[in-house]
Amino acid sequence: MTARMKIWGAAGLLLILGLCWGLSLAGSAPADADFRDTPLHLAAMPEYLSPEADAKLRVLSQALALVEDQYVEPKTPKDLIYGAIQGAVSILDSHSSFMTPEEYRELQIETKGKFSGIGIEITMKDRILTVVSPIEGTPAYRAGLQAGDQIVKINGTPTKNISLTEAVKMIRGPKSSKVTLTINRQGFTEPKDFSIVREIIPIRSVKARIVDGGIGYIRLANFQDQTDQDLQNYLKKMRQRLTPFKGLVLDLRNDPGGLLEQAVRVANEFLNSGLIVYTEGRTPQQSMRFFAHPGGKTEVPGPMVVLINEGSASASEIVAGALKDQKRAIIVGSKSFGKGSVQTIIPLEDGSALRLTTALYYTPNGTTIQDKGIIPDVVVKEPEIPKDKSLQKLREESLSKHMRKEGITDKPWSQPITAQELDQDPQLKRAVEILRHWPPKKMALQPQ
Amino acid sequence: MKLFGIRTSRTSRGWFLYRVLPVLLAIFLAASWAQPTSAASKENYEALRLVTEALYEISHKFVWKKGEEEIIYGSLRGLMNSLDPDSSFLTPQEYQQVLSGQKGPVAEAGLDLIYKDNLLTVVSAMEGGAAWRAGLRPGDHILKINGQLVRNLTTQEATRRFQGKAGAVLNLQVLRNGLIKPLDLSVTLEPLTPEEVTKKILKESFAYIRIPYFTPETTGELSGALKQLQRHRPPLRGIVLDLRNNARGSLDLAVRAASPFLGDKEVVSTRGRPPEPNQTYNGRAREEVFRPGLPLVVLVDGGTARAAEALAGALRDQCQAVLLGAKTVGLCGLTKILPLQDGSALVMTVAQCYTPQGQKIHGKGLEPQVPGKTPAPAATSATPPAKLPPEQDPWVAQALEILISGKIPTIAEKAEAR
Repeated sequence: MTARMKIWGAAGLLLILGLCWGLSLAGSAPADADFRDTPLHLAAMPEYLSPEADAKLRVLSQALALVEDQYVEPKTPKDLIYGAIQGAVSILDSHSSFMTPEEYRELQIETKGKFSGIGIEITMKDRILTVVSPIEGTPAYRAGLQAGDQIVKINGTPTKNISLTEAVKMIRGPKSSKVTLTINRQGFTEPKDFSIVREIIPIRSVKARIVDGGIGYIRLANFQDQTDQDLQNYLKKMRQRLTPFKGLVLDLRNDPGGLLEQAVRVANEFLNSGLIVYTEGRTPQQSMRFFAHPGGKTEVPGPMVVLINEGSASASEIVAGALKDQKRAIIVGSKSFGKGSVQTIIPLEDGSALRLTTALYYTPNGTTIQDKGIIPDVVVKEPEIPKDKSLQKLREESLSKHMRKEGITDKPWSQPITAQELDQDPQLKRAVEILRHWPPKKMALQPQ
Repeated sequence: MKLFGIRTSRTSRGWFLYRVLPVLLAIFLAASWAQPTSAASKENYEALRLVTEALYEISHKFVWKKGEEEIIYGSLRGLMNSLDPDSSFLTPQEYQQVLSGQKGPVAEAGLDLIYKDNLLTVVSAMEGGAAWRAGLRPGDHILKINGQLVRNLTTQEATRRFQGKAGAVLNLQVLRNGLIKPLDLSVTLEPLTPEEVTKKILKESFAYIRIPYFTPETTGELSGALKQLQRHRPPLRGIVLDLRNNARGSLDLAVRAASPFLGDKEVVSTRGRPPEPNQTYNGRAREEVFRPGLPLVVLVDGGTARAAEALAGALRDQCQAVLLGAKTVGLCGLTKILPLQDGSALVMTVAQCYTPQGQKIHGKGLEPQVPGKTPAPAATSATPPAKLPPEQDPWVAQALEILISGKIPTIAEKAEAR
């Protein structure tokens, strides 16, 4: 038809287009050491579509059309698009990735610190799916499941030959839905069915113990939505219980990180002023500074030791770096992982999402952690992994360790850590010794 | 970014409106001519919008600036990789090389690889070849090449990385099942030494033939070997044909190599998406050597691909051969090169292979009728065991048991829907 008509048609489409872009950007959810994105204006769009970009985009459209038409098996446009986005992301760094809608949902569960399930920890014991323990206050606990119960069937499906992850997937499900576990227990003449309604189960990322002599021990498993609140609760309880409160061990070993915002909040618990971390990205929106503020916290009166190892990454390194640079804590353990970049999760309009590295972060002294890691003040090595051990075996061991709730934090928080427990963990033992003999001779030379 | 302040949003929109959007729409909607329904074009439009959105975010927010070309070529590689390992993308330079009639590589590692599920995996390593001697084995995953992480390669590109000047050294980081730490191996490229078909009389007049990989000479060597063996006295009672760890050879080589066994019978057929024609490939009657009815066991495994798979399928369907071992790779398609407007090109699978009885090979692989008893020895150390002589090979022994007992399982496998 006429040129005018065409323009109008396009204008209508543009409006929809603009709306979608605006929405998805405004809805950017931060995760994994993230920033909330400032919504970009539509005006920024044509910049991408420079004549060069435009030409390249046309090549992509042509390729999509050819594949759709001529590839030996018919493919839906969505199949093809996911492959293309995956390919574009893979020219970036290894922390950038594309998530399908399913993967993105899973990530949200992890970072929100809660999921919908029945609240049991399970393991494979002698190849039989077994309950490690029901978590207090959850539907599984109320239904009367017990440690050692064997799960013979899940919703009528035999659990023989299924993997632990499959089992977890089957037991989890939407809130208020029902799952039926067929349980075999010592004393049962035949397996019994337990029908349990799923609820939102919080995942605890903070666990604690105390050590004789007024020393507290707090372990962070990751940095998710509720980490700072859980941390505060334990600090409050410790202040009441420990008189005097002589020192604190903050265990960040094998803590892979999580939300940037939570790293800042955790560091803020132990600092009253000064820079915690700053980031630098390509756009001004990605360059930010985070400061500590006094007030609204439970002061930890004594000295602190932070435990790190090769498994401490990202948010863990931000906390360790801030406490180290501000001389608030002595860092004990082995060199940390060295992930000094910040990822932003950018949801796309169909429920999939991009995880993009958008900035690098620096500790208050201006050092980047990228590839270097945090070097401990006091190096205490972990026992080496025997070389001949298979990956499978190691995985099983670490899994069973995990299922045992990580050993030391297995017991109630108010129960003091025993001498035997300390002997099994040389890094923690060293940390406790340092706090007991504060100030450390070598460290005393450093300005406090 | 500087443009932000200068351009008002209205003029920017106008620019986009007049210039870019109609072009994009025209191209993509035109692309859906095959499916003129509005639902299809809506789906296409949404897909294009999604990819544009994603590329826009990557181009603008990633911490280090990337060129538009790099981003788009990355997405094209990803697009083709998501189809199958034979589909691939060629940059303009690479396409020019193809057009100018590329010569075979001067030197190589003697490896066949596939890039699948974001992993570069060794499908087969030629016995005695450079990679084999360096310790690489089928099933190994290559994580790094010369310190560079392997990411978003196509199978073809990966293969090119292992070709070059004689004497060039590649340092690899290799992950092997069952090992915690990746292995560091280094491979020196060398001219490919021609590997011949080998034959051997095992006990009780049973013979063993190995085809290491397919070359234009394979057919001649094979029929020579068959003729000699069939002259053996006392008369030959059966043959074990070893097609394991054999992933090299085009379809026409498979058809030719099948002729000594099955004469002018059908070897393989290819089927494409309509209107792409289906095609049947037959061997040549005058090249037939094999004595019909002679029992035949064909050894296959996870390193059996392309020509070897087609041959294995043909022997099973036409010569009552028993396949023994492990499932084959399922890499047996026809590709076509489709040039794009900027001089780059797509390599795309347009047809797939089927056995004479109509079973699809591509993407599925062939399941052996008799699974190999002892799993193929999984090398779990840096120094994998040397290749066993056939007399000590557990699968050869198993094949002989079948041949000696005469209890060849009847072909139970039904041809799949034609």
